[in-house]
Amino acid sequence: QQQIALQRLMLQPTSGAASKVLCLTQVVSEDELRDDEDYEDILEDMRTECEKFGELVNVVIPRPNPNGEPSPGVGKVFLDYVDAEGASKARAGLNGRKFGGNQVVAVFYPENKFHQQEYDG
Amino acid sequence: DGSGETKKRKSRWADDEPKPIIQLPDFMKDFAQGIDTDPEIQLLNARLLEISKILQAGVQLDDRPEGARSPSPEPVYDNLGIRINTREFRARERLNKERQEIIAQIIKRNPAFKPPADYRPPKLHK
Repeated sequence: QQQIALQRLMLQPTSGAASKVLCLTQVVSEDELRDDEDYEDILEDMRTECEKFGELVNVVIPRPNPNGEPSPGVGKVFLDYVDAEGASKARAGLNGRKFGGNQVVAVFYPENKFHQQEYDG
Repeated sequence: DGSGETKKRKSRWADDEPKPIIQLPDFMKDFAQGIDTDPEIQLLNARLLEISKILQAGVQLDDRPEGARSPSPEPVYDNLGIRINTREFRARERLNKERQEIIAQIIKRNPAFKPPADYRPPKLHK
């Protein structure tokens, strides 16, 4: 049923909020990101799964500062796709799925903010 | 299913389980899909989240010193003796009101939206 909905979605004119960058919120915990091995695992899991929707340019997972200072965007995962089509496919396919027990919320993220490495938002 | 951390090499992604909350008839799907991707709803949702965060963290107030603000009015108390005309109270009321309005708007656009447990639909005044 998702496939059908997806194809219809793609035929619709792209909405203004669409972006090549998709942000998954409430995905990973700060503790997991501190551990190098966990971090690598998460990165790999993300790549493998998210490539299914389109070609990825980059995957960014902000990590907490070692000195304990608050770091923007921790807990989120940013997926930079080569085109908006990949991003919107991924959005439809990932939103609501569970990653490590957390229910993923997928939203488009402003490309310019992403490229300026502003991850709070 | 919270025991995922033990198996290292298994993907953290849960199996793709398409489980729609309500199975919509085909002709409804376009409609429902449109709602979900409506940028305006995305925006409303984002603002809603923001408000909830502010309400939880405590309302940020005008931090000018006492003398630089207009003089405070005489205190007003409710029938429980709690002062109701403080700045905190007003700021909170304002956010709560905005929150209710946003929820009402989302519901208007998407009747399937499940409002938070503490949401009360606005009273219809005569």
